[in-house]
Amino acid sequence: MKPVQSADEVFGIIQEIKTRAGANFSTNFFPVRPKIESWIARKELQVELGQKVVFFFRKDRNLLHLFFVAENLQALEVETKALLALSGSTITLDLVGPANTIALTAEVLVNSGFHRYGSLIRLARSPGKETVTGESPEIVTVNRGDAAEILGLLEDFFDPCADQIPLLYEVESAIDARQIIAIKRKEKIAAFIHFETQGATSAIRYWMVAKEFRDQGLGGALLRHYFAIHPAVRRFTLWVNTANENALRKYERFGYAPDGLADQVLINQKITA
Amino acid sequence: MKSVLEILKEIRPEFDFAASQDFIGDGMLDSFDMVTLVSTLDKNFNISIQGTDIVPEHFQNVGTIEALLRKSGVEA
Repeated sequence: MKPVQSADEVFGIIQEIKTRAGANFSTNFFPVRPKIESWIARKELQVELGQKVVFFFRKDRNLLHLFFVAENLQALEVETKALLALSGSTITLDLVGPANTIALTAEVLVNSGFHRYGSLIRLARSPGKETVTGESPEIVTVNRGDAAEILGLLEDFFDPCADQIPLLYEVESAIDARQIIAIKRKEKIAAFIHFETQGATSAIRYWMVAKEFRDQGLGGALLRHYFAIHPAVRRFTLWVNTANENALRKYERFGYAPDGLADQVLINQKITA
Repeated sequence: MKSVLEILKEIRPEFDFAASQDFIGDGMLDSFDMVTLVSTLDKNFNISIQGTDIVPEHFQNVGTIEALLRKSGVEA
C-alpha cells in the first residue's frame, strides 16, 4: 500500500481499468476531484495495485474505508480475499445503488471474506408549506469555536463504521460554508442540523439533539426552520440507518419516504452495528 | 417508447429538466441518481449502457444523455 500522490493518478488508474474491463467494469468509487485532492493533501488516501483490481483506502480514525475498481467480479472476489488475508486493519466499504443492483456485488464480497454490517436507505421529500410554527427557540449558525463540541456529539451518537462521521477539519469546513444550524441552550449545542445544498436539492448529513435536551421539541423546530430557509429547494434528501427506527419514524412524520436507493455496509470483522 | 425528458420527469417530477443545461450543478441529479437513470434507460431503450459510460459528463443535460443513447446503439 502506498500513498496516492495526485488526483490525476486516481483518475488515470480508474480509466485504465475501465478501458480493460469494458462492460464487466465494477466499482464502488465515484470520486469527485476536490474531495480527492483534500484527502491526498492530508495523506488520507492510499492505493494498492492488484492485477485486475485496484484498491483505494481512505484512513478515517482507526479504520479504513475501502474503494475498489475492478475489471470484473471474479477478479474482485479473488483479489479481495488475498487483500483481507494480509490486512490487520478494520476495513469497511459501502455499496450504493438500487437494492437489486448491489446484491450480486455484495454476495461476491461476502464470499471473499467481508461480513454484512448494516444498511442505510435514502429518503426524499418534496417541499410542503414550510412555516415556522409554535415556540421559536433561538436558531443560530454556528462558528468554528463550536466545531469540537459538534464533533463530540457526532462521535457519541453515530457509528463510524456505518455513518461516515466527518473529521474535525470537515466540520470546520461545513461551518465556514454555513451548512450547520443549531439551537444553543446554556452556551451548549442542544441540537443541530448539518446539511449540504446543491442547486434545487438539499441533503441532511446529520440531524441530532443532545441527550439532555431531548423531548423538548428542539429537533422538530430545527427541522422546520431548515425547510423554511430553503424556499428554492425542490427536493430534500438524507441517508438513514435502517436500524435507527426512531429516526425513520421521525423523518416519515416530516414527509420523507424511501426513494429506492440503498447502501449496504460491509466490514472485514465479525462485529455487528 | 418514452423520450428522455419523459423518463427524467418520471424519476424526478419536481424538476423542470427542459429548462436546465446542467442537471448536476443545478442539483437535479447526483451520482447516485445516475445509476438509477441508467437502469431505466436500459429497460426503456432495450440497450445496455456500459459501466465505463456512467460519468457525470454524460448526464449534464438532455442533449448529452441522447448522445450517450446513440453511442449505446439507439438509433436517432
